[in-house]
Amino acid sequence: MTAMAAELQNRKNADQTPVVEYRSIRKLYGEFVAIGSVSARVNKGEVVCLIGPSGSGKSTLLRTTNALEEIQGGDILIDGKPLPPKKADIRKVRQQMGMVFQNFELFPHKTVLENITVGPLTVLKVSEQEARKRAVALLEKVGLSDKADKYPANLSGGQQQRVAIARALAMQPDVMLFDEPTSALDPETIGEVLNVMKRLAEEGMTMIVVTHEMTFARRVADWVIVFDRGSIVEQGPPAQIFDNPQADRTRDFLSHLGWDG
Amino acid sequence: MNLDWSVVWQYSGALGQGVAITLGLTFCTMLIAIPGGIVLALMRLSSNRLVSGASACFVEFFRNIPLILLVYWTFYVMPVFTDLSLSPFATGLLALSLNVSAYNSETFRAGINSIRKGQTEAALALGMSQTEAMLKIVLPQAARRVLPVLASTWVSLFKDTSLVSVIAVGDLAHTALEIRAQTFRVLEMLTAMAVIYWLLGYPQAKLVDRIYKKWGVKE
Amino acid sequence: MDFDFSAVIDSWQYLAGGLGLTLLLSALTVILSLICGVAVALGRMYGPKWLSIPLVFYIDSMRAIPVLVVLVWIYFALPLLTGLNLPPFWAALVALTFHISAYVAEIVRAGIGSVRAGQTQAGLVLGMSEAQVMRKIVLPQALIRMLPSIGSIISITIKDTAIAAVIAVPELMKRTETVSGQSFRPMEAFTVAMVVYFLILFPVTRLIDLLYKNIGYRGRS
Repeated sequence: MTAMAAELQNRKNADQTPVVEYRSIRKLYGEFVAIGSVSARVNKGEVVCLIGPSGSGKSTLLRTTNALEEIQGGDILIDGKPLPPKKADIRKVRQQMGMVFQNFELFPHKTVLENITVGPLTVLKVSEQEARKRAVALLEKVGLSDKADKYPANLSGGQQQRVAIARALAMQPDVMLFDEPTSALDPETIGEVLNVMKRLAEEGMTMIVVTHEMTFARRVADWVIVFDRGSIVEQGPPAQIFDNPQADRTRDFLSHLGWDG
Repeated sequence: MNLDWSVVWQYSGALGQGVAITLGLTFCTMLIAIPGGIVLALMRLSSNRLVSGASACFVEFFRNIPLILLVYWTFYVMPVFTDLSLSPFATGLLALSLNVSAYNSETFRAGINSIRKGQTEAALALGMSQTEAMLKIVLPQAARRVLPVLASTWVSLFKDTSLVSVIAVGDLAHTALEIRAQTFRVLEMLTAMAVIYWLLGYPQAKLVDRIYKKWGVKE
Repeated sequence: MDFDFSAVIDSWQYLAGGLGLTLLLSALTVILSLICGVAVALGRMYGPKWLSIPLVFYIDSMRAIPVLVVLVWIYFALPLLTGLNLPPFWAALVALTFHISAYVAEIVRAGIGSVRAGQTQAGLVLGMSEAQVMRKIVLPQALIRMLPSIGSIISITIKDTAIAAVIAVPELMKRTETVSGQSFRPMEAFTVAMVVYFLILFPVTRLIDLLYKNIGYRGRS
């Protein structure tokens, strides 16, 4: 209970209902237990980073948040309400959550601008003019105003990922989910994506980030959750996780990465 | 409407013969068109531009005309050019062979081109001779790509043999259409013809699917 | 051996009319087959079982039965069964569409299958419905990826319309036969027809390939 008390003291907006709460989540692939029994919360305005070895279940947990993965046990609460079972209602929840994929998943048959407007146009039914206005503003925000009429194939990986972030933001989400957003990038373009994410965090966006970028987690995260083999090894503020890890497996993981603070 | 299906049994002997000719024509055509395709593909890959150009013209021409027209053309033109009076079967065989050789040539060319140069180099680096590299490394991989395509070509060819019926080759389609004309049992004969083609072709199409599953290369 | 093209040249208007009909029949068949083929593929992939089983049977049957057989059956046998008499042109349109739609369905299925699952997810996370994802994201990409195959379908269709001569549709092939018979100049007539078909078919496939070279990247994620 002391850990809980500490958490309440340490975390942003801990007195409010969490934006996302995972309660004893269980996820199976046949016999294989991808996620054991995981509980965690994400408060309003927080940047929560999920770290851990490949295949440890952190991406899977992220993907359960907007029901891209079904769960076999536990509850996911969004703003205190459980994820609805009906497909149409899940769509409503998804509209409030932006998601950024490892492989960008920009729509290759649409221009950069169309990629950003397609969501608001088809789902939110905003006017063409309004969607365009938003898209132009977002492109400026991610520093790609000159690429509006290009196709994704003409962009570098880093540029594509920035467009993908703009596409997610165009839905004006309450939460942003990032699934290893820099893992598929050339080293020289990782920085431009992380900078956009950092700025987003500074503006107060609630973000859940699965990442291997420890420097980003250390500097930007408010809360870090360490995964291994389908369960949470340790969670805490970055200062604790990176400078004074409590669990052996956290130390092992960080030392494998060559992390030295 | 009164239907009399007994006409199908009555003429089962003739229909059986038609089936034999259809299958025989398919088989003979492939027998010619596989070596034909290989020769055309090798010509196409030749560094001599005249040779490769001739092959390209041949292949593009025969791939880009209707087969039924080629059948007629062969029927009327061969005797004029060659003074040979070919039987309808031989004429049909020639037309189909020209067409399928052109398709097969593209199949073989794609198969050979699909094997990366690195594969040969890797084999040579292991100390294999050029011939060993070709036989043990390149050809087996090319075969995996070529075989499924040849199998689909086979099924297409089986169906296309029906087109030689227009020059009175006694294949299944021609035989059935003839019986129809003699007996006026139109619905029965045409349905029987469709069913027989289905019975023969359906297993072949399924077999092709299995070959693709087993051998097909995923890209 | 002497050539005499005068009979063919004299009938050029007659033959040109046949060519027009060939092109009209081809265009209608291609358009209808694309629509029906997409519908069949979607029904097969996402429809209920009672729908997908007969659709698979239909597709595989068309792979097994020659188009000539379908054509003569629909023209000669179907009226006896249903009392519905189709004029040759319409019978040919129905038969060719029935046959070619099955091929289109297979191509569409492969095309849809080749679009990465991540693309569907990217649409879903924007809050799109599955139908919206199919319409706005997956199908357009699949169609671009299918371009080379659609090129083959167009080429196959134009070639198959020549078979409609068998049921006396007055298209190029049939009219060539007529000219050949009346003039006793079969070699000249059929040679000219062959060249005309080639001059149409060869550029069509080349143009589609060229188009694909230019916009193919819009289908690759």
